[in-house]
Amino acid sequence: MIAPRLTAEAISLQIGDALILDAISHAFSPGKITALLGPNGAGKSSLLACLAGLRNADTGQAMLGDAPLLALDRRARARAIGFLPQVADVHWDIDVETLVGLGRFAHAQGWGMSAGDRHAIADAMLRTDVTRFAGRVVNTLSGGERARVLLARVLAGQPQWLLADEPLASLDPAHQLDVLALLRETADAGTGVILVVHDLGQALRIADEVVLLRAGHRVAAGACAEVLTVATIARAYGVTVEMGTTPDGTRFIVPATRLAALVA
Amino acid sequence: MARRWVLLALGMVGVAVPISVAGAPAPGRLPPARIVSINPCIDAILLEVADDRQIAAISHYSQDPQATSIPLDRARRFKATSGTAEEVMALAPRLVISGGHVAPATAAALQRLRIPLLQLPVPTTVSESIAQIREIAAVTGHVDRGEALVARIGAALAAARPPHSRPIPALIWQSGGLVPGSGTLASELLERAGFHNLSADYGLKQWDVLPLEYLIARAPRLVLSASGTNGRRDPQLAHPALMRLGRQIAIRPFSFRLLQCGGPTIIAAMARLSAVRRSLAAS
Amino acid sequence: MSATRLNLLLIVGLAGAMALSLIAGKVWLPIDPFVGFGQGDDPRWLIIAELRAPRTLLAMILGAGLGLSGAAMQGFLRNPLADPGLFGVSSGASLGAVLSLYFGFAGFPLVLPAFALLGAVMTMLALALLAGRSGSLILFALAGIILSSVTGSMTALAISLAPTPFAVSEIITWLMGALTDRSWNDVWLALPLTLLGAGLIALTARALDVLTLGEPAARSMGVDLARMQWLVIVGVGLCVGAAVASAGVIGFVGLMVPHMVRRVVGGRPSATLLPSALGGALLLLLADTLVRALPTVSELRLGIAMSMLGGPFFLWLLFSLRRQLP
Repeated sequence: MIAPRLTAEAISLQIGDALILDAISHAFSPGKITALLGPNGAGKSSLLACLAGLRNADTGQAMLGDAPLLALDRRARARAIGFLPQVADVHWDIDVETLVGLGRFAHAQGWGMSAGDRHAIADAMLRTDVTRFAGRVVNTLSGGERARVLLARVLAGQPQWLLADEPLASLDPAHQLDVLALLRETADAGTGVILVVHDLGQALRIADEVVLLRAGHRVAAGACAEVLTVATIARAYGVTVEMGTTPDGTRFIVPATRLAALVA
Repeated sequence: MARRWVLLALGMVGVAVPISVAGAPAPGRLPPARIVSINPCIDAILLEVADDRQIAAISHYSQDPQATSIPLDRARRFKATSGTAEEVMALAPRLVISGGHVAPATAAALQRLRIPLLQLPVPTTVSESIAQIREIAAVTGHVDRGEALVARIGAALAAARPPHSRPIPALIWQSGGLVPGSGTLASELLERAGFHNLSADYGLKQWDVLPLEYLIARAPRLVLSASGTNGRRDPQLAHPALMRLGRQIAIRPFSFRLLQCGGPTIIAAMARLSAVRRSLAAS
Repeated sequence: MSATRLNLLLIVGLAGAMALSLIAGKVWLPIDPFVGFGQGDDPRWLIIAELRAPRTLLAMILGAGLGLSGAAMQGFLRNPLADPGLFGVSSGASLGAVLSLYFGFAGFPLVLPAFALLGAVMTMLALALLAGRSGSLILFALAGIILSSVTGSMTALAISLAPTPFAVSEIITWLMGALTDRSWNDVWLALPLTLLGAGLIALTARALDVLTLGEPAARSMGVDLARMQWLVIVGVGLCVGAAVASAGVIGFVGLMVPHMVRRVVGGRPSATLLPSALGGALLLLLADTLVRALPTVSELRLGIAMSMLGGPFFLWLLFSLRRQLP
């Protein structure tokens, strides 16, 4: 089942004197993985927060399907959009299964878990390969294991859109590949995926579409191959890069030199 | 012969009037057989006017050497309670007598359990104290003993009245600078013993804290130091500023207990005050 | 141990403690008054019916309210050292009660609890005004500190302005907290308020669990933070207000009990709610029975007894934490 479109309509955000986002518009495609890229301070996380309904844009709005996102009831919004924040707080010593179960909050009717809830939880744990940790206390797991458990929580909610802020940050290469494969699988099943990543290589590997931001402005947006060109990257990041393909067809990208003057 | 009848008639009037005027709360006409007191000052009066068997229990403070107003060996002969309704109940008294401040919950509990409670606030004048003695005496059915006590107090007051001379300016000083002002029993006792309570001149209210500065600016002739029963003086009174004034201010100890109660303690208080006055006049 | 097992254990413990509380005291009651049912002439029967029974029930109700409030506060603030007093509601309620003692109204029935509840309500309103709709923890904590300071200083002012040392002593004694001589009237006052407060807190249980992941995640998962904040404030305010109105200031129950519960059932906030209520009831009941039965001359004030427990408890906590660190 294909998710409804998630659209940013001229979203602007200002904090004090600083302009964080300047009239950003983009229609995100369901069933595809879109990467939000840009140098530090470009406004990627803020845009993601507006798309998740966590932040009110000063002008413009996010739309889910035909309706403004913020017009939706809180729980309906939570069922539609799963948000994985960058900061992975777990304040209490709870076990993995309980934590993943929290992802069913927006679906809950009354007390206790339904069969559907239990199925979704088991499925999410299976897909993220954390079933064997089910009884362990989350705070005793390694960074990578913990990151997978938090992703499982989002997946357990069976959202139509999955918005993740730097989901690969603390993972080793093997688990990065696993998570990327999982995100691909999720997108293929019809969920829309929007990621904020800072590593261009990861973006190149996984993203179908890219929105490239710089200082609150949209520099480029579109299919990955069209946006991630040497010239565009130089404009956005101020570095020259080498791009290539490995013998088995995987594309890679390596930053080479810093440009003296940043092209506006 | 006629005199005897007159005395008997007077005695009967003496019994009837206090009971009707004071409005003794005891139900029925007979004096209560069992009385519980939960206040050490009331204990002192009770022991003077009631039969021992009428007293079901006294306050635990009366068995504490630091807080008691009655001789310990007498006090230990009675049962003592800590003043909770539960303990009082178990003694099945006909009347409970207390001071002015009773925990609201305890007072409500006694009312619910239908145990009459007679509350006698801390007396602020000698005549209030005498009225309380008469009320307690009436309630125990021993008006004569009450009058005897009143007479002894009257004698002590008279004996302490000084010959015609000017009142000596004085102050009573409790720990931390707490001074009883006009409108308290201690103040009246001071005045009757030939002193002038300077607290009013400083502008103090009923009980107040006096800063040493005021004391020094307008020094009394005598300071009665009433800091607890262990006799140790309040360290503030050893302040160098006071020491400088040396011979001008006499500092004499005064038992703390004599300030609190009224009743029989007035006799000891007046004795002490007149002794101090005589020693001052001599020096 | 699972939460259910702990709850059952606590309920059994409570039943035993109730029986003990009815018997124990300065006046130890043997079993026969219970057997001679309804024989009104025996004063010991009256003691049980009018003094011990309401006191026992009141200790359980207040203990449950305080334990539950502690668990809710700790879950809401994500801080295992949070205490129901942090909102300032207990200080505000104390101020109300102290004012009734100061002006001499407390002799009339129900006046003191009414003043205390008024103090609690006004403090909750002030908290609402100060903390606003933001749900920000820092604003909250700051508002609580402000209210505690202001009401605390006004209480101290009332004490210092009291006309006689006897009035001072009366106020200070009341502040130390006690369940002595409480009646069925106090039970009928505390029970509905505590039940209502507990019900409101129970409504936040699931949301408190979700809050484990932090505020942004919780909001994204559909938690209405503002609603949860108000449920917690009003729920805790009612339980604490009822406790202060009935018994004065009794601390540490809300702080200690959830800690101990968490060691057994784990950190999940919703799982700690019911055991904390039961544990609080048990703790307060045992403490009250102890202070009543101890052979001291006068009853140790219950608030003092709880503070004396609090010190060693935190010392033990310190040592167990130090053992865990490198």
